[in-house]
Amino acid sequence: MSFVSTLLSGKFIITAEISPPKGTDISRMIRDVELLKGIADAVNVTDNQRGVMRMSPLAACGIIQGKGIETIMHITCRDRNRIALQSDIIGAAALGIRNVLVMSGDHPVKGDHEGAKPVYDIDSIQLLGILKKLTLGFDLADNELSGRPDLCVGAVTNTELNEVGLIKLKKKILMGASFFQTQAVFDAKSFSGFMEKVNGIRSEKVKIIAGIIPLKSQKSADFLSKLAGIKVPEDIVQKMKRSKDPETCGMEIAANIIKEIRPMCDGVHIMPVGKHENTKMILEMAEIL
Amino acid sequence: MIISRLKEFDQILQLLSEKKIFLIGCGKCAKKQHTGGEPEVLELKYKLTAAGKNITGWTVLNSACSINSWDDVLEQNPAIKMSDALLIMSCGGGVSVISRYAGINVYPALDTESLGGVCCNEIVTQLCGMCGDCTIWQYGGICPVTQCSKSLLNGPCGGAVDGKCEVDERLCGWDKIFDRLKELGKLSHLEMIHEPKDHAKKSRGKKI
Ligand code: SF4
Ligand code: SF4
Repeated sequence: MSFVSTLLSGKFIITAEISPPKGTDISRMIRDVELLKGIADAVNVTDNQRGVMRMSPLAACGIIQGKGIETIMHITCRDRNRIALQSDIIGAAALGIRNVLVMSGDHPVKGDHEGAKPVYDIDSIQLLGILKKLTLGFDLADNELSGRPDLCVGAVTNTELNEVGLIKLKKKILMGASFFQTQAVFDAKSFSGFMEKVNGIRSEKVKIIAGIIPLKSQKSADFLSKLAGIKVPEDIVQKMKRSKDPETCGMEIAANIIKEIRPMCDGVHIMPVGKHENTKMILEMAEIL
Repeated sequence: MIISRLKEFDQILQLLSEKKIFLIGCGKCAKKQHTGGEPEVLELKYKLTAAGKNITGWTVLNSACSINSWDDVLEQNPAIKMSDALLIMSCGGGVSVISRYAGINVYPALDTESLGGVCCNEIVTQLCGMCGDCTIWQYGGICPVTQCSKSLLNGPCGGAVDGKCEVDERLCGWDKIFDRLKELGKLSHLEMIHEPKDHAKKSRGKKI
């Protein structure tokens, strides 16, 4: 079943994140893809995440789809102007990459090419508008396309939203985002508060896929707590600290969160720090597989 | 006001391959920010002399970017004619204007950062990005082109941590916009969908 049909089918959605390699060696990426086959409904492919230069997600998606698993191509506004963005989307669609996830993108100062010129010619809301136009057969400048891309478009959101953040989420829905992947969730209670807010503004067709990062150590818990939009509750930090086997403990925590939030949202998105060797096990522990 | 900062002294020294240097400061923005007024010009003169440069003279122009006539400047500062190069303590606008008429090598002593302002002795930076299509009223007078590190026109990126922008020490521009619009009773502006900027409206050297 295609990802679009899965979204609409009501099945609990499973997606998983893969980072393209820094270099031309795709062996590790392919190993991850093999681990996710038959488990994930689609694989997210990141776009030079955290501003660290890697293989283009368009190329990586092409390679991964060749292995028989559908991809969701991340597309940030950081590195390309409106011409390059449209051009990449059309190219992706022609290669059979239909699912795209739109975001502003971490600023270059966060990455490994600090002096890069940040582009941000357009923002995520405007990009959603552009994608809508492309699917109607026109580019941003109203020129007609010969052959239009058939896209399934998603966006991202934090789950800790202030008022202005919620208004932006509303705008993303208005501009045609049909699914959202959230920043990592560690606290089911605060996630339910988020879902309450979202349910007030979304139709059932707009799917919410909760981000899950399996912790690997206390250090990873501390690190994540410093990132925007992520809150690791103190009891989880303590649990990780006390544990003799932090990796398994992190898997249990992830599985528990998935169990807790499953009734509230439409799917989960697994973003491990590193490889996917535990992803299947976590989903089994969460009684999803 | 144009916001500028003094280059590192070593960097200035490296620029200057010539021996006889005339120093020019600016009596407007650079003076206000203490990057190119009389005290700063004199300090640089002192340091350059100590480093073995022959400073032929100095002046602080009323405003380096708007000069009535270069002949007047020469008349009032005859030492310029005996110099090999000019070192300018003004924004890039001033350096450009002077370079246009001086006929000798002209070097910048400052780095030009942004278009800001000053009020009650507080210098504020990055107020306007000179986009050529002013829509600042839609944001309560706080321009997202410069106050948001990603120039996002439709709302925050979600990268702020404890109210601070993910990029630098500044407060998230979008929190400021929200607060101001709330104050003004114009939160409804946040619901607007802002189209991409028309960058063709930015001046590309057209004569006005
Ligand atoms: S909208 Fe454009 S012209 Fe107006 S303050 Fe911002 S950058 Fe300057
Ligand atoms: S944190 Fe705020 S100011 Fe910084 S880039 Fe994001 S929205 Fe803009």
